[in-house]
Amino acid sequence: MTSYDTVIGLEIHVALLTQSKFLCSCSASFGAPPNSQCCPICLGLPGALPLINEKAVEYATKAGLALNCQINHFSRFDRKNYFYPDLPKAYQITQDAFPLCTKGFLEYYVDDRLVQTEITRIHLEEEAGKLIHSGASIVDSEYSLVDYNRAGIPLIEIVTAPDIHHPRQARLFLEQLRLLMSYIGVSDTKMEEGSLRCDANISLKPNGSSVLGTKVEIKNLNSFRALERALEYEEMRQSQVLYRGGTIRQESRTWDDRAGKTMSMRSKGDAPDYRIFPEPDVPPLYLDPVWVELIRATIPELPLERLRRLEGQYGLSRYEATFLVNYPDFGELFFALVSQHFGYKSIVNFLMGDYARLAREKGHLNPKRIAGLLKIVDEGVISQTQGKGVLDDLFSSDLSAREIVEEKGLEVVGDPGRLRPIAREVLAANRELVSRFQNGETKLFGFFVGQVMRVTQGKADPGVVNELLRDELGK
Amino acid sequence: MKKLAHLLETRQVSSKEIVEHYLGEITRQEPTLNAFITVDGDEALRQAEASDKRRAEHRPLSLWDGIPIAIKDNISTQGLKTTCASRFLANYRPLFDATVVSSLKNAGLPIIGKTNLDEFAMGSSTEYSAYGVTRNPHDQARVSGGSSGGSAAAVAAGEIPWSLGTDTGGSIRQPASFCGVVGLKPTYGWVSRYGVVALAPSLDQVGPLATTVEDAATLFSLLAGPDPKDATSAAARVFEVPTWDGEFIKGLKIGVPEEFFSKGLHPEVEQAVRKGLGALEEQGAILIPISLSTNDYAIDTYLTLVTAEASSSLARYDGVRYGERALALDSNTMFAKSRAEGFGPEVKRRIMLGTYVLSASHYEAYYEQAQRVRTLIKQDVLEAFKQVDVIITPTTPTAAFRIGAKQSPLEMYLSDLFTAMANLSGIPALSVPCGKDSRGLPLGMQVMGNHFSESLLFRLGHFVEKTVGIEGGAVGDKL
Amino acid sequence: MIDRREVIRMARLARLELSEMEIDQYQKDLTSFLTSGKKLQQVDVSRVEGTSHAVSVAHELRKDEVGKSLPQEAVLLGGPQVQDGFFRVPRIVEAQE
Ligand SMILES: [Mg+2]
Ligand SMILES: [Zn+2]
Repeated sequence: MTSYDTVIGLEIHVALLTQSKFLCSCSASFGAPPNSQCCPICLGLPGALPLINEKAVEYATKAGLALNCQINHFSRFDRKNYFYPDLPKAYQITQDAFPLCTKGFLEYYVDDRLVQTEITRIHLEEEAGKLIHSGASIVDSEYSLVDYNRAGIPLIEIVTAPDIHHPRQARLFLEQLRLLMSYIGVSDTKMEEGSLRCDANISLKPNGSSVLGTKVEIKNLNSFRALERALEYEEMRQSQVLYRGGTIRQESRTWDDRAGKTMSMRSKGDAPDYRIFPEPDVPPLYLDPVWVELIRATIPELPLERLRRLEGQYGLSRYEATFLVNYPDFGELFFALVSQHFGYKSIVNFLMGDYARLAREKGHLNPKRIAGLLKIVDEGVISQTQGKGVLDDLFSSDLSAREIVEEKGLEVVGDPGRLRPIAREVLAANRELVSRFQNGETKLFGFFVGQVMRVTQGKADPGVVNELLRDELGK
Repeated sequence: MKKLAHLLETRQVSSKEIVEHYLGEITRQEPTLNAFITVDGDEALRQAEASDKRRAEHRPLSLWDGIPIAIKDNISTQGLKTTCASRFLANYRPLFDATVVSSLKNAGLPIIGKTNLDEFAMGSSTEYSAYGVTRNPHDQARVSGGSSGGSAAAVAAGEIPWSLGTDTGGSIRQPASFCGVVGLKPTYGWVSRYGVVALAPSLDQVGPLATTVEDAATLFSLLAGPDPKDATSAAARVFEVPTWDGEFIKGLKIGVPEEFFSKGLHPEVEQAVRKGLGALEEQGAILIPISLSTNDYAIDTYLTLVTAEASSSLARYDGVRYGERALALDSNTMFAKSRAEGFGPEVKRRIMLGTYVLSASHYEAYYEQAQRVRTLIKQDVLEAFKQVDVIITPTTPTAAFRIGAKQSPLEMYLSDLFTAMANLSGIPALSVPCGKDSRGLPLGMQVMGNHFSESLLFRLGHFVEKTVGIEGGAVGDKL
Repeated sequence: MIDRREVIRMARLARLELSEMEIDQYQKDLTSFLTSGKKLQQVDVSRVEGTSHAVSVAHELRKDEVGKSLPQEAVLLGGPQVQDGFFRVPRIVEAQE
């Protein structure tokens, strides 16, 4: 029986984080009352003319550079014509024949393997308005309501070559892409708000064949999980059709997240005919290579470079480094703390431990205050255990770690003269356990340590306690 | 207009009196002429009074403060109906002024009303208006030309001293020629298109219509200039009204393209233009026979591009945000019904053609091909200007035709035979009256120049007007 | 003569509901236009690029600054049917092209 190879290509729309819209000066912000951020241009009123936002071009260029693309000196805008209630001019201003960026790639890890996916092109275009349906979905709505606040927000469309080989790879690609966009600051990349959207093309071809199979486009992928699940489903559906000797129909399908399956989008007849032609209202764009270099200079360290630096320069594990890369806010904290001469590992452990949990809830602490805590723990002023308590307080007060320690009278008792009587007391109170310990139940040692710590309210220096207990039990 | 401006400045006449005079003419002539779709007399009088007040306080906004104007009804005027002569926009009131309208308001010109046109500027006779045909003031059985027929007829009839038109393939020059007035299609990009309802954005330009070349130049000086709201507007160029001496004629090289004097040209038109050329030669101009062979393709190229762009520019009329909406149970039917009911037959025809030439399987053979031929046409024209200073041709092959005379669309499209070339190549072209035919119908001469050579065109036009033209072609009573 | 089905397809693409008579008429018009347009196809254009803009101008981009939008009432003023600050449209069914 023939086995099949999966071929996946992605089309990603990223909303750019400009102040004003792509073609007019209305605010591009999210969440305003309906139709309150509109003007003659974004409403497509007769006679209104588009004006390209410089920042959108800059952000698209930045994205292209971060994705190793060629930034084209000449690019042109086109009209893509189709009727839909959310499209004010009944055409979308986009770039077809001459996109801003071409021929790039993204590198990312699939397990331990570094792979590359080719970026075919990146172009600029405008967003459509938002529809609210009267019923549960578009098909069973008697009417729909249109809000044009979103109409005209700048988007980039990133198109990959069909060289992704399995659903999980597609997901990893998209995660890496999202991270990249947030590193360069061109988008807030919120999938749930639609500022990052992905359509996927998937086809199957006989193993080893160089001819691509019929592709199916999947829409409505609103999360990374949805992307992976939809592709898995479609991979299975298509292979079953092929094994049964059937043929795949070229079509668009929509992902139903609740049902966990893709469904045909009932396209009757031919593929849409968008009648694309050069946009006469917008002159072509000629980018100055010097300007492109200036933009290149604003690109920060990118995720993969950072991962390599964390592993190489700081000796972190892939797991630790990935954590710091995927949560760039933690990454920034790491670098801030590193500059104050703490051990790399202890910083990572600290950041990935209780701190991460608290920071997610309450937001980050100032690195200086964290450094203060790390310092007193490092110097042995307080114990690790006490440190956890101080960390809680750091989140709820404005005091420094040292002030908290002073206020609470926290300290580490390391004086064997003060601790020995406590250790003896503890052992005396647990004679039975002591004899069991002496008969080989060595794991009871931890219990004795714990008891001493409890009595001293955690102030005892664990090293000293260990030493004393070993000494006393050995007698 | 200088005289009128002087009278206003010396307070011998008020803007109110002027506006009242023209409103009177409009009331008297409109029942037969039908040059206007909307007249807003009350607002014009208010603007006139404000102007008079400024004059009284010695702070007029410009030399022309208080002289009224009419605007073609495809140019947006805030709060004032802008129908494009379409049923679809019967009740549409723009929320903003076109940049050219702002410029006129800033110069203190009261806007008297909106003039008739072929629906969405698609036509050459103003017969395709949802609001009735505009008649030619020289012969009411004949058309005024189009699509700026209302603007040309109103000026010719003395209903208004000057007006704005738009020209995509001849829509200012052809009616100017038919009505015996002066009309300019400016260099593409010199006048802002912001607020001008698009027909074909790569070809459309706003321009002046007036009874004399000097007035047209004056009006043009109020329109020309860069506009940050129009990305295709030419940066930082201003136009100044030239001085009117005739010295420059000596040695001026005038190209006379043989292709424009051949088939289809009415002998009386040819005679009139040749007479004008003769007069120029007598004054020292050098006539140089040239060839503009690509004009053979101008009409087909023009039609392909204009219909394609129009099919897209007019797609926004879908009944969602403004305009008329037909009742339907689903959106697609609502779009299709609203558009079917809102648009007239010529608009639908052009949308159909434009959709066809842009559709995937025909794009290369028609649209792409036409764009390339356009390049050849532009090269042909620019090449000619290496040899000559200006090119002179008849504006139209015939004088104004009878209402209803053009039966087929293709016949109508041929009205733009001599004018489309200037739009395709972006150059300026002026139509100036150069006599009348045996029935007393005005005839026009077209003067084309290189990009941004309007000043030269006006000076030459002025000379033609003085020697062979019918200066002050208005039929109605002069003020 | 161009195919009648092609005329119908164009009308659908352009969202024009045409009567049978109009379809007949536009079938004729399209055909005669395309016949005359054939002349263009004989022109050798192999050595030139298309002209999409009549006069080339330096493209001045707009600064990314937020300007005034229209008040919501003004936006909705011309709307044939509005509801709760939105434009209302009847049921949206997938295009049948
Ligand atoms: Mg797109
Ligand atoms: Zn806007």
